[in-house]
Amino acid sequence: MEMNDGDNEEFGLSRNYFLAKELRGSGKRSHSKLSDIDVVDEQELIAAVSKIEPKHEKEVKELMNSYKSSYPEWAFELRCGLGLLMYGFGSKKALLEDFASTSLTEYSVVVVNGYLPGINIKQVVAALAELLWDQLKSKRKNPGSSSKVQQPFSSRSMDDLLAFLDEERKNECFVCVVIHNIDGPGLRDSETQQILARVASCSHIRMVASIDHVNAPLLWDKKMVHTQFNWCWHHVPTFAPYKIEGMLIPLILAHGNTTQSAKSATIVLQSLTSNAQSVFKVLAEYQLSHSNEEGMPVDNLYASCRERFLVSSQLTLNSHLTEFKDHELVKTKRNSDGQDCLHVPLTNEALEKLIAELSQ
Amino acid sequence: MAHSSASAGDSPPPSSPDTTQNNLQHFFVLHKASEKLTCSGKARKRLDLSPTKLKPEKKEWDERCLRMEAFQLVWSGIDSTIKDVLRNMNARVFNDIHSWVRDSFNTNTIKPFPPPSPIVTHQLFTAFLLTKNMEFVDDFLTFQELGLFLKSHGCHVANLSSSDFSPNNGIAGCLTRLLRQFLMRTFDAADMSILASWYSHQGNYGSPVVVIINDMERCCGPVLSDFILMLSEWIVKIPVILIMGVATTLDAPSNILPSNVLKKLCPCKFTLGSPAERMDAVVEAALVRQCSGFAVGQKVAIFLRNYFLNQDGTLTSFFRALKIACVQHFSTEPLSFMLGQLLAKEDSKSEKVVKGASEILLHARDQMAEQTDIPIAHCLTELKRLQMVWSSIVLCLYEAGKCGKIQLLDLFCETLDPDIYTSLASDNPTGIGESLATSLSSDHCMLEQDLSFRKGQTICQVVRKVRRHTSHSPVKIGKSQSINGKAAILVDCMVRYFMRPIECIQCHEIVCFRNVEKLQSALIGDSRKRIQVDLLEFHKILRCSCCSRSGNIPLSSMPDTSIVYTLAQEHGDLINLHDWFQSFKTIASQPRRKGGCKLKQSPLPKRRKEVNESENKSEASIQARFCRAITELQITGLIRMPSKKRRDSVQRVAFGL
Repeated sequence: MEMNDGDNEEFGLSRNYFLAKELRGSGKRSHSKLSDIDVVDEQELIAAVSKIEPKHEKEVKELMNSYKSSYPEWAFELRCGLGLLMYGFGSKKALLEDFASTSLTEYSVVVVNGYLPGINIKQVVAALAELLWDQLKSKRKNPGSSSKVQQPFSSRSMDDLLAFLDEERKNECFVCVVIHNIDGPGLRDSETQQILARVASCSHIRMVASIDHVNAPLLWDKKMVHTQFNWCWHHVPTFAPYKIEGMLIPLILAHGNTTQSAKSATIVLQSLTSNAQSVFKVLAEYQLSHSNEEGMPVDNLYASCRERFLVSSQLTLNSHLTEFKDHELVKTKRNSDGQDCLHVPLTNEALEKLIAELSQ
Repeated sequence: MAHSSASAGDSPPPSSPDTTQNNLQHFFVLHKASEKLTCSGKARKRLDLSPTKLKPEKKEWDERCLRMEAFQLVWSGIDSTIKDVLRNMNARVFNDIHSWVRDSFNTNTIKPFPPPSPIVTHQLFTAFLLTKNMEFVDDFLTFQELGLFLKSHGCHVANLSSSDFSPNNGIAGCLTRLLRQFLMRTFDAADMSILASWYSHQGNYGSPVVVIINDMERCCGPVLSDFILMLSEWIVKIPVILIMGVATTLDAPSNILPSNVLKKLCPCKFTLGSPAERMDAVVEAALVRQCSGFAVGQKVAIFLRNYFLNQDGTLTSFFRALKIACVQHFSTEPLSFMLGQLLAKEDSKSEKVVKGASEILLHARDQMAEQTDIPIAHCLTELKRLQMVWSSIVLCLYEAGKCGKIQLLDLFCETLDPDIYTSLASDNPTGIGESLATSLSSDHCMLEQDLSFRKGQTICQVVRKVRRHTSHSPVKIGKSQSINGKAAILVDCMVRYFMRPIECIQCHEIVCFRNVEKLQSALIGDSRKRIQVDLLEFHKILRCSCCSRSGNIPLSSMPDTSIVYTLAQEHGDLINLHDWFQSFKTIASQPRRKGGCKLKQSPLPKRRKEVNESENKSEASIQARFCRAITELQITGLIRMPSKKRRDSVQRVAFGL
């Protein structure tokens, strides 16, 4: 019987697939253009997104609360050495953090935001080691053989860090890692997943993670699933909006999908050198004070940056500009005089906010 | 820091500067460990002293601690039993390998003159260990154990795997791993000379150096070749002996390595036991002999078997499934902690503990409410006895069926079937003696008649085997036939009267895990299907009154992403964004059922400007909602975003559930 069910299911799948393909070939296919939609002004759209009224607020709240009764069970499973993998539609960020701060108080908890790009996994592992070290120190005065090696964790190799986390010790000290979106853009590559799997298998680590992508399980092979992560799956749909997880994803109706919000610009800028940030600030300040112009001519920018000792040659400035352009922080336009002008594709308010955040 | 985290109930989360900051950070510390209650041995003592005076919270905490202790006791039993079984299965091969290592080492070193042939030709002694198993994951433990075994016999051992032979890191990568394992340090510039000097000093000289590679077929060929050539260059200074795991056949090395590298190997072959053999041994030790007292019900057993045969086929996955079953048993069954007590104290003291425990848990025992007068201690002794009897019979049947290639796993599932037991018991209201007499007088096996064809197939097969088993010596045929007949009747009686499945024994809840649905959902998360079902049938989860009776027609009250995804079902593999948005707009701008009347009344002439504004507003908000819904679908991976070539449509990824 089971085989039959499986066959039927498979048949249904392939049938659906071919039906879908057929639809594409037939004359039914629509040729309407995205540009036919009368899209409102982009800033208005962004503002409207932040003001979307939540639906079913009461039910979503009740649903979230209903999971509270499972917390002891989850904590038990975690303690027994299983990893918790939460899936189902809706943001699970608040749920996981609530679980961690109410039921996992006996562990130190580190939260990793996997939805952000560019996570440095080694820094995370070093932070875990640091926490474990603190915990061991507070438990007793002489935390074992490794106390002699006082090389800072941040400069140790990954192997050393993992060995430290996996070292057998008598006392039961755990550090719990909560990973939002373990399938997220910042953690999706196979090397990072291998490291996460090794982290999860360390004797002093417990892992709680969430996935949102339907194909997330393809990230792991049998070794990782059965022996390292040791996942125990939990279906916990929350229907909470993916506000934070979706914040860096461009809106589909926004023109060309290229304009960045101030938030993502801040994140990109913070990863650049302070000189590059200052150059960007010069440009932004000019744009704010000359809001009627097309932008800041490149020569002007070079002159002002040189005055402030931010760049020493046109070459350095160009390298900064290339960086900005790659991240779509800056665009070039030609003004009526034929000069190349630089401008930041953000509104004045967004720019002001950005400058304020950079100056902090 | 804990206070700053968003509480689950509140959405949107309170946007204090702290949380927003945390949301944008790659990682942050939520809180540090607090010095709170931790489970320790004290819990049990407290329980003995004054079970009735405890506060309810404390009681719950103690109870959880007891269950945790019980789990740790039981699972460590199962874990070590399974590892022992596997170790014993490998013991013979390991011994063979060890003596081969010794022999190889001696030929390499003992005779300085004339130099023995392998050294002259720079050949490496190499053992190919055939694993007979395509699933490498099952053999990691084996190779680890092999390493430990050789270490305990005085060898220097390094365990490498295919990931150390990746094209990215090249030869330097595996050399670093090698040095790390032998010298326990990481070097910036890995060099063979470091290893050679390590071997010549510090009393390392004089013991064989063994390098184990788990899965040679998955290694990057060129890197492995370079590695072998390098080792053979250095063989005079450090005579390395190689052991490589091979999953397929002995052809594999010649497929991966070029002939000049193959010439450097002086090969030898060893073979491990097959996965099916190992599986039977594990089932016997962990579930039939019940090393730890933990048992599973019939449905769970069948699920475990199917999971092994159809889904994954690895012992490792079976092991994980068993662990999850065990965890779930102790986390959900209130009485399960008594299993730990039973194991911990065999003497009369356990009775006292049991008594105290049963008092504490009176409130939790709704399923046993009507049986409160039955002494639990007595139940447990009886349970233990009956389980022993059951296990002996299963092992008898297994032994008898071995020549018929009967798998223990199949037999195990069948002997746990409560239906077989109850049907046999109801057929024989008369006592054992009488029925034995009728069995003896009749020529055929009653059991085969009584058991319907579908139910006890494997058991019947065993009984038939016993009956028809003929001695090889022709003289004894007549005699052996009568003996076989008697043996068959004995089996018949054993099965009929003593093979009582765990689920038919009183108080089985304490030791037996039966919740197959729970196990299945924890083990196999079907994210692809479940996330789609969440979206399409969200009202079953949210249980709202407004959307439940819509069927497949999207309503404006539904969550936006559900509307958008429901609409997507009508499209082909490409979804035109414009059309999609228009249909979303039509639905989203439908008045909600409650507020519908108000909307119709409002357009009065003097308010036209306001209306226009609000229309504009609602247009923006509809577009925003559509964008958000698409973003959410993108996060779930259910659609692929427009490419530069096809800006006007997105691609569907999932077709059907």
